[in-house]
Amino acid sequence: MLERFTDEARWAITHAQEEARTLRSSRIEPVHVLLALTREPGRAGQLLRAAGVDHERLTAAARRTAPLDADALATVGIDLDQVRAATEAAFGPGALDRGAPPSGHIRFADASKHALAQTVGLVGRRHLDRIDAGHVLFGVLAVADPLVDRLFQQLGTDLDALREQAAGSDAA
Amino acid sequence: MATPTDVTTAAAADDPDIGLRAIRALRDLADRLEVLQVGNARRRGWSWQQIADALGVSKQAVHKKHAISRRDR
Repeated sequence: MLERFTDEARWAITHAQEEARTLRSSRIEPVHVLLALTREPGRAGQLLRAAGVDHERLTAAARRTAPLDADALATVGIDLDQVRAATEAAFGPGALDRGAPPSGHIRFADASKHALAQTVGLVGRRHLDRIDAGHVLFGVLAVADPLVDRLFQQLGTDLDALREQAAGSDAA
Repeated sequence: MATPTDVTTAAAADDPDIGLRAIRALRDLADRLEVLQVGNARRRGWSWQQIADALGVSKQAVHKKHAISRRDR
């Protein structure tokens, strides 16, 4: 199966692991695949960047919710910045964020496996020989991941429209 | 996004998406703070029993959760 992926698609899937590590996630979630896709030079990266979803903006948005969900804490009256400042005053810089950084191989979360299954399903229906990064993007946007949905809302990007574009033409 | 000043009691919000997300965030934060506080208590010479009493859990529970990662059994 993997040999049918274009170099860009393969790069993005591989690189998703680094995105997960950077955000200290113990699993490769759909958002990490998405982050990797914003950096790839091909169709997916172009679509995402044109829609305003670049790596910098998406990382900044993702950091607001992971690993600690500042926005959700704000809804119950907790200012994460204040908690962070207080713990750093007592225990040193980065104290609150010093969880165990994931080491070694990080596995794909079930949601990411489902996303890749969507990708494979799409190219199967279309009888395509090659699976490009755009098809991987389609898969990520097809699984209704709550975090990805939320980040798109924050960035003001139309997820459904982008998913249809990512599905692409058969000539892709 | 909500700010601490417009607290809308999300813990009791009627939208499960907001309410449950807040619960999860609180749990994640509590876990982080627990790691810091347990570590600090151990460095100050607290016994596992003292820490367990303060947290309101069994000694076995707190030991199992923290001792292995801290390597100071």
